[in-house]
Amino acid sequence: MLTWSTHLLTEYFTAVNAAEDEETAIASAVERATEMVEAETGAVVREGRVLGAYGFGGTVPEAGLLAVAAGESLLDVPQVGELHAVANPLGGENADALIVCRDGEAFGAEERQMLQGMAQVLGLALRSIRVLAAERHLRAEKERQATTAQTRQRLVESLLTIQRAISARRPLPEILDAVTGGAAELLHGDATVALLLAEGGPDRRLSVASTCGRTEGGPVHEAAARAAMTGGSALISTDGVGTVIAAPVRVTGEMAGSLVAQLPGDADQYAEQRDHLDAFAQQVSLALTDARTVEAVREAHHDPVTGLPNRALFLKILNRVLASRGTETDPTSVLFIDLDRFKAVNDSLGHEAGDQLLALVARRLRSCVRASDTTARLGGDEFAALLHDSPVEAATVVGGRIVASIKEPFRVAGREVFIGASVGIATSREPVERSEALLDNADVAMYRAKKEGPGRVLVYEPYMHTEALDHLSLRGDLQRALREGEFRVQYQPLIRLADGAPTGVEALIRWHSPTRGFVSPVDFIPIAEEFGLIVDIGQWVLETSAAQVARWRRHFPDLGLNVNVSGHQLVHPRFADNVMRALAIAGLPSSAVTLELTESVLMSEPDLGKAALHVLRGLGVQLSIDDFGTGYSSLAYLRELPVDELKIDRAFIARAELTGEDLALVRTIVELAQILGLRTVAEGIENAAQLTALRRLGCAYGQGYHLYRPADPGDLPARLAARLVEDPVG
Amino acid sequence: MQTNPHRWFGAGQSSAADAAKAGAEAAAEAIGGRSAKAVFVFCSVAYDLPELLAAVRAEAGPHASIVGGTTMGELGNAGMTVGGLAVAALGGDGFTVHVRAAAIDPHEPRAAGAQVAEALRGLHDPNRVLILFCDGMSGRPNEIVRGAYSTIGAAWPMVGGFAADDRHFERTFQFCDDEVRTGSVVGLALGSDGPIGIGMAHGWRRTEPPMVVTKSQGPHVYLLDGEPALDVLLRRNNFDGTADEFFERGRALQPLGLSRRNGEDIRVIHGGDDEERSVWGAADVPQGALVWLMEADRQALLDGATWSCTEAIAGLDGLAPLGVLAFDCGGRRAGLVEGGMQEEIDTMRTALNDAPFAGFYTTGEIARVDGGSGLHHLTLVTLALA
Repeated sequence: MLTWSTHLLTEYFTAVNAAEDEETAIASAVERATEMVEAETGAVVREGRVLGAYGFGGTVPEAGLLAVAAGESLLDVPQVGELHAVANPLGGENADALIVCRDGEAFGAEERQMLQGMAQVLGLALRSIRVLAAERHLRAEKERQATTAQTRQRLVESLLTIQRAISARRPLPEILDAVTGGAAELLHGDATVALLLAEGGPDRRLSVASTCGRTEGGPVHEAAARAAMTGGSALISTDGVGTVIAAPVRVTGEMAGSLVAQLPGDADQYAEQRDHLDAFAQQVSLALTDARTVEAVREAHHDPVTGLPNRALFLKILNRVLASRGTETDPTSVLFIDLDRFKAVNDSLGHEAGDQLLALVARRLRSCVRASDTTARLGGDEFAALLHDSPVEAATVVGGRIVASIKEPFRVAGREVFIGASVGIATSREPVERSEALLDNADVAMYRAKKEGPGRVLVYEPYMHTEALDHLSLRGDLQRALREGEFRVQYQPLIRLADGAPTGVEALIRWHSPTRGFVSPVDFIPIAEEFGLIVDIGQWVLETSAAQVARWRRHFPDLGLNVNVSGHQLVHPRFADNVMRALAIAGLPSSAVTLELTESVLMSEPDLGKAALHVLRGLGVQLSIDDFGTGYSSLAYLRELPVDELKIDRAFIARAELTGEDLALVRTIVELAQILGLRTVAEGIENAAQLTALRRLGCAYGQGYHLYRPADPGDLPARLAARLVEDPVG
Repeated sequence: MQTNPHRWFGAGQSSAADAAKAGAEAAAEAIGGRSAKAVFVFCSVAYDLPELLAAVRAEAGPHASIVGGTTMGELGNAGMTVGGLAVAALGGDGFTVHVRAAAIDPHEPRAAGAQVAEALRGLHDPNRVLILFCDGMSGRPNEIVRGAYSTIGAAWPMVGGFAADDRHFERTFQFCDDEVRTGSVVGLALGSDGPIGIGMAHGWRRTEPPMVVTKSQGPHVYLLDGEPALDVLLRRNNFDGTADEFFERGRALQPLGLSRRNGEDIRVIHGGDDEERSVWGAADVPQGALVWLMEADRQALLDGATWSCTEAIAGLDGLAPLGVLAFDCGGRRAGLVEGGMQEEIDTMRTALNDAPFAGFYTTGEIARVDGGSGLHHLTLVTLALA
């Protein structure tokens, strides 16, 4: 139907997406929407706040607008009267909405529908702007910090004085005097400062623990101190003499008292000082907490579940042992113990049972070593033992004892539980040895032991280290794979949902390594990118698939090719040349090729690749955004880049039965694509219900196991031909 | 001389070639010896403008606010002039007048609109209206009007016009008290204890079929329904020739109506490019918009004038109009050639029951009573006071 409303959406869309900040986008959206439905007023409610209010003149009826966002359909506007109001959700998680209000005629169904569309467009634009703004904000924050650096420097110096008093175990009164002295210095000259601390007992009486600059008999300001403690933040007030600032002080999280400053003159000049005193009091709280919690320090070094030393303490002890060795030949052994099947117990019986089991394991470990040896829990299901004066043979015996001991059943949560342990051993013989290195070596040995099967004890050998750096060796394997032709390409058809006709194929790389077996692209592509091999691998995929599709086109003349492109390829200076060369050699027209880029690549390399993409687009190659909707979904790049296609990420249609929310999201993307004149391809269609829903939403193309699985090139023509007859869609 | 009534309105005209003479004549006729609060001056750029304003000031006295601008023709009870002057004046205790002016920042044109609209603040009269006189060459008239609306909101109406420079389309001037400005917006906030009525009508109608603007940028239209825009206009008008020939041979304007909820938002197309096959006008024609070519015959345009005046008077709660300010689109003249202009004036005189009126031919008209948009084209906007 040719109506006035649908044609306004394009105008609106262009206007809203030209905005570079939230304020402009909101103002533009509100004004256009208001004008387009000939409403008098409009606004956006976002995160509970009214923004971009338009047409209200000086007084914005905020409460009324919030009520409209919550569902009210009339808005009373001062001097104008009662208007028909409609709130249109912006999408996203909050009850954010674009509101327009009109005198006289209520909004019709068609107008509401258009407004919904407008609100969704605004929502998308705002979300993408916010992502960009977050990056900019980080920079601005750094600059702001620099301007307050001087104040911070003074604050730091005062706190250092207090810390020195605490760490030097000065008497408490001296520490408290450092606190009040530091505060007075921070506030400059004329301030007198008192620290009031609550005493024990039911009435928590406040008493002055320290003062600075105060003459005897001055006012105590107990009321101000109590008010700050009750409110939990710094307060400023005036008394007969001048201004009083009180900031609460906490010790181990509990309200312990107040730091109270008396300054001359009116309160309104001291807003900054109030903030400083508050910040100082917070820092003092931390310092006092530290001083008073020697006991807590011990807890911080021990694992609460097992009572064993934690990793940090274990390393300290190990350091001390290594440093205090009498001779170079005194061997020190470290055992790294990893439990087998612990995760299964934890998952099936619950965390509480898991913790019980860990405590029991700790007890058995202790029984396997001498009283003078140290055992520790490193984290998760990893333990360690430190055996001093223990040669490797003795350590191996202890390791075997541990494995045997852990193999015995445990009784947890009223049942027998069977687990196991793998042990790696590293022994120090070097005159200088780092504790971390020794523990790492034991870890490497344990990893190797675990690979050989459960219940093993292995002693560290240098070759194991090389093996542990497996992912480094992947680099060589990948180079070899490329050289020796271990990669191959599978093809998954893209289907036109209207009639089920295959319109193209996506090339998918596969690697079957002779040594590693099948390796998933998820595992090797990041490493190929890390070592810069992706450019060659990507080029190989493009050349191979282009040649293949060119051959298929003799029988399927309209078949297109989708190829994934990595960000590293995109920024390669010869990327466009490489692509065109591959197509020329294969004899595949550029118009048959669509390059797929992920959103994250486009966001991380917004400018570098743009020129190449425009060159390629100019030569007829098409561009697709892969996984659309999972990243930033920035409308900015859709506007700036020559995009032809959006691939809706499988996450949006992952549920077997799509919910209303899923459908709304997909619909938004499809409508967005229609506005921009782009194709939409739904990925991951796995059942007939999803297929039907996507067709109904107007999604033009699809891909997924329900339609076609990825196939080897030899199998594909037959499948394409067969499905053409069957029509999987209809 | 005359007594000073509670509210009064007068109008005068002159086509004297000398600025001082014209200013003195028209102002004397409009003011008639009364103590004016506001004087509206509409004149051709051909005059020595400072001299003309000085002459008006001499008649108006030191306390009157003087506002207005240069035109594409002036109109009043005596008829239409080109290269002449029309003046309106009002006064009396029943009116309050506040004036503000602001320069248009080309990067932020709405700020000027927002600033001058502040003139309304501090008025406490039961009826209020903002009257705007804007530079017509700023390029973004919509933004100026939106700026003004953002300040005053829906509570009070606004009217006004964009200044012109005869037909040069180079530089227009605005008047604010004794100052001749360019690139400015001048706003006069008028408060009255009597009713205020506003009318607007154009009299154009759609010619089917509609078309989609498939490519445009700002006021330039490149493609309509995928076909070069100039080709479409030539074909639809059965015209064989160049763009210049087309737009100069009595087809000086081609109104395009943008599809809107309550009818059409009209854009005037007044030029074309033979190379690009594009056409252009004075305001944005958004890509994606649905548009109609608009047509009008003389009678329809005259009916539009009647309707505008009638609507304005209908807002006066049954009182007779004291007088009327008129903002008439320069483009309407093209549809009213060969005596049509005088017919329009006669029509207005009749519709206004011979109440005094003065106004000018603009490059864009402003009227906002309902809804949020206030910019119009090819429209006659009338402000009636009682």
